[in-house]
Amino acid sequence: MSPATLLGMLAVGAVGAAVPRDGTTKTRISLGLVAALSLWLVVSLWSGPAPSAGVADEWPHLLTLLVFGPIVAAVAVLFIPRQSLSILRGFTYAVMGLMLVASLWLLAVPMTPGWHFQTTAEWIPAIGVRYHVAIDGISVWLVVLTTFTTPIAVFSSFGSIKTRIKELCFSFLLLQGAMIGAFVALDLFLFYVFWELMLVPMFIMIGIWGGADKIKAAIKFFLYTMAGSVLMLAAIVYLVWSHQKLTGHLSFDYLALLRVVLPKQAQMLCFWAFSIAFFIKVPMWPVHTWLPDAHVQAPTGGSVILAAVMLKLGTYAYMRFSMGLFPQQAVSFAPNLAGIAILGGIVYAALVAWKQDDIKRLIAYSSVAHLGYIMLGLFGATQAGMQGALLQMINHGISTGMLFMLVGVIYDRRHTREVAEFGGLAKVMPVYATLFVIATMASVGVPGTNGFVGEFMIIMGTYTSEALRAFAGVHTIGAAFGVILAAVYMLSVVQKTFFGPLSNPKNKGLSDISAREGLALSPLVVLVFVIGFFPSLFLDRMKDSVSLLSNHLRDVSGQLVSYTDEHQPKLLPVDSFSPAMLKGAPSFDKPQAEGASARLEPAPVGGTP
Amino acid sequence: MSFDLFLGLSPILVLVVGGSLLMLAEAFSKKAGTPESLEGDAERGPSSETALGSAIALFASAIASVAVWLYGPERLEGLAGLAPYLVLDRFTLFFCFVLALGGALATLLAGGYLPEHKLDRGEFYPLVIFSVVGAMLLAASGDLLSLFVALETMSLGVYCLTGFRRGSSRSAEASVKYFLLGSFAAAILVYGGALLYGATGHTDLAGIRDTVVAIGKGAITPPADASAQVVQAASAARGKLGVFVVGMLLVIVGLAFKVSAVPFHMWTPDAYEGAPTPATTFMAVSVKSAAFAILLRVLLGGFGDAGSMSWSSGWPPVVVALAVLTMTVGNLVAGRQESVKRMLAYSSVAHAGYILVGVAAAAKASADGQASVLFYLLTYTLSTAGAFGALVWCGSRGKEAVSYEDLAGIGKRHPAAAAVFSLFLLSLAGVPPTAGFFGKLYIVKAALGAELYVLSIVLLLNSVLAAYYYLRVMVYMYMREPAAGAPVAVPMKSGYVAAALVLSGVLVVLVGLLPGSSLEMALRAALI
Repeated sequence: MSPATLLGMLAVGAVGAAVPRDGTTKTRISLGLVAALSLWLVVSLWSGPAPSAGVADEWPHLLTLLVFGPIVAAVAVLFIPRQSLSILRGFTYAVMGLMLVASLWLLAVPMTPGWHFQTTAEWIPAIGVRYHVAIDGISVWLVVLTTFTTPIAVFSSFGSIKTRIKELCFSFLLLQGAMIGAFVALDLFLFYVFWELMLVPMFIMIGIWGGADKIKAAIKFFLYTMAGSVLMLAAIVYLVWSHQKLTGHLSFDYLALLRVVLPKQAQMLCFWAFSIAFFIKVPMWPVHTWLPDAHVQAPTGGSVILAAVMLKLGTYAYMRFSMGLFPQQAVSFAPNLAGIAILGGIVYAALVAWKQDDIKRLIAYSSVAHLGYIMLGLFGATQAGMQGALLQMINHGISTGMLFMLVGVIYDRRHTREVAEFGGLAKVMPVYATLFVIATMASVGVPGTNGFVGEFMIIMGTYTSEALRAFAGVHTIGAAFGVILAAVYMLSVVQKTFFGPLSNPKNKGLSDISAREGLALSPLVVLVFVIGFFPSLFLDRMKDSVSLLSNHLRDVSGQLVSYTDEHQPKLLPVDSFSPAMLKGAPSFDKPQAEGASARLEPAPVGGTP
Repeated sequence: MSFDLFLGLSPILVLVVGGSLLMLAEAFSKKAGTPESLEGDAERGPSSETALGSAIALFASAIASVAVWLYGPERLEGLAGLAPYLVLDRFTLFFCFVLALGGALATLLAGGYLPEHKLDRGEFYPLVIFSVVGAMLLAASGDLLSLFVALETMSLGVYCLTGFRRGSSRSAEASVKYFLLGSFAAAILVYGGALLYGATGHTDLAGIRDTVVAIGKGAITPPADASAQVVQAASAARGKLGVFVVGMLLVIVGLAFKVSAVPFHMWTPDAYEGAPTPATTFMAVSVKSAAFAILLRVLLGGFGDAGSMSWSSGWPPVVVALAVLTMTVGNLVAGRQESVKRMLAYSSVAHAGYILVGVAAAAKASADGQASVLFYLLTYTLSTAGAFGALVWCGSRGKEAVSYEDLAGIGKRHPAAAAVFSLFLLSLAGVPPTAGFFGKLYIVKAALGAELYVLSIVLLLNSVLAAYYYLRVMVYMYMREPAAGAPVAVPMKSGYVAAALVLSGVLVVLVGLLPGSSLEMALRAALI
């Protein structure tokens, strides 16, 4: 850290501390701290990875710390007495702050193609399950997004939730650990464990602190996701079993299973089993119906996590697992899936959002529309489109997270979210209105904000996509139409809520945003503009990994058309993959305990004899 | 020679000796006062020492089975003399361990439950112990005769346990119902056994299998130019085969009753609900495990030849149909229950369905399928005993936890009880990383290995159905507040119950995180 940075941080911190008009010393100090840290984040992004930093600088246990730190802390919370609220809160903050700082370390390493911070260890040798975690330029952003938004959600939750703090701390910590675990797991079994583990704290969060209809929403959330994931489990086990038939080795490792080419029919069924699980999580039309309920009923903190991180698990997992394991299916279904993403997601969800009376429900539907864009970028499978989709995942986390927090602010004051109850709020809450408009602009994708870059790249990628074949033009028009719709529904709610006469007398005495709420929102505002003006800070780090994936998709899916057998599974030869991609794959040099003979390369053509 | 015999039978002998001593101790001990004097001091009932003693005996038996396992039953040549009546192989030893563990957890629960609910009579414990002896013998039996004797030894104890709450008409009804239906099923089983004997001339399972193979070969329609004698012999063999098939089906029905597979499950909810909860626990875990042990042994060891195991005419399709029915009906009905205990009863029916999937898989992918059944029974024993135990813990005399409403808000009032209950429910629902998840995973893996694709999808979708009613309990515990003036459950205080819960809770998490060694044991215990 150079002296100039330090001075800058001091200056920014001082300005931040001076901003609130009615803040206590505590809020001033923390606001200053947040301002200084934000500057540090931006500066460390700017300087880029140090050229000398290499594999040697990767501490292999960093990811383990990031995953199990929060989980162990969650268990520790159970032993803290529930009366000592300040200890509970302080402990949660401390753990999350530590995780945030630790995750910034991930950014200091150049994201060359391949896996970084890779750790493997045997877990259950009997069925070939390993503890295998690693990140690349794709997952690193989602991990940082998680460690960045969770503390914000926690902070804003502690402001509005006053009951059962112990359970709240437990849920947030467990949720964070499980989400990071799902992002970094490269063993399908490990991934599944985290994927399911995540449901429990979210279920608790919606069910305990939710709105009037919380229980129905919580159960719906749990069952929808579980129904998808059990299908995925069946597909995983089938894949593993095929791999065992081919090589004689049981392995759940993603890098080992990449090589398995299932028979045609099975390939399609497994692709759908994986993808439906992910589409439910995304959520894509028509399996999106759990989302509006879950969002509306969840407490603000839960909504923020749900929108900012949890939905990204669906898009991330589609990118990693569906596209990685079944490239041919992903390409051949792409035009239809993109059509669904546009009609069902971008257009239909936007129209539904337009008609909502409840602001939170409106934002929930706008999430469906935004995730439609992200999925469109992934279906197009071009370099630009996928990078845009990944950037849009971050953007959506920031802008929608911000919107949910802002809705939470007004709900805490009026205990209603009906658009009709409001009007002319800009007169009584000018700062609040400004922040809301910024979030809206980011969400709509006005140039200069983060949303613009992502959407633009996605639309550009769609137009040039080969995977979408002849439909690329039509899809582009549909997607561009969606941008207009987004402006329609977001701006109409802004207009109705903030401008016009202050007609409802109940709104006359509303206080403007408090220092605490501003503190929670400020890092998000900073990021809206940082990404909006300097997207290459983010795009540069994800470029290599995304191009590795898109090359893999193009090469392997082309190869598979002729390679796939009607009835027998096959193994792809190792040289059809970039070596970076298979780094750290399990080696089967030694035969397993059962004495199964190790048959390695070349891949036996025609499967087992 | 005799040393071999003692060592090999030690898991059972420990229990026989221990049970007899406890019975004597119980008979000669002075009653420690009238029930009224127990008020406020639940720990000091006359049965609390007996509970401890019986738990020790059962744990000793579990340890003995581990010891024999480690020594290696193959090295004990003296045991060969017991065959075919008793087969003491690794399969039996695995079940001895699971059965003793289930029994021990049930007696520990009883040690808290019986004094609390003024049912403090010492005969509960010897009954459990002798039932476990019967269950172990059942798992070991390789002959239809010893099978029947062991089955009745086990069942008689359980009939009494069901009716243990003598003052309650519910309990009496449950006991009578269970007894009548149980005797009926036993009769069907004996009749099936008689037909098998008639068809094959053997009562031992290995003999039945060998003879059936021979008969099956003889029954092939002879060529047109065969002599009259050959034709006659073939038609006679076909007749025998017909008798055999009927006998086989009757035996399967008799055993399906014991594992409470739909449509032979009618007794289960009533018996489970009427019995005192520790007895229910014992029925749900040990009786069911022993029944699955003998089901596997009979199906694979007795009927396990090519003819009766084929998918066109053998038992596997029957088992598949039973599995689908049992899972689906069990889950659908469980979702509609208003009493938690009854819900758990139906859930145990549904679990029997999952295990039947493993049995069906064992027909094709033999070792894997069997291992999955064994492993599932271990995880099921732990989670079910834990769930019933948590239910016991959540209630006290007059303030029992019966319906969902009783549990409302318990997460706030008694977080420890609710947390433990949730752990076991999540394990039953199969949420990773608990033991129950791995149990389901292995069954699915075995079923896929046996190419039972649709069946495994049905299982997985059923587990989503099941998640609904397990979550409902959690919803009531954490997310609902009791209505004003409504009766609420107040947790009891008992070291025994706490010990049982801690033990099964630790094991559920441990098997969930490190399932490797127990799975390897299950694989080694697979029959063939």
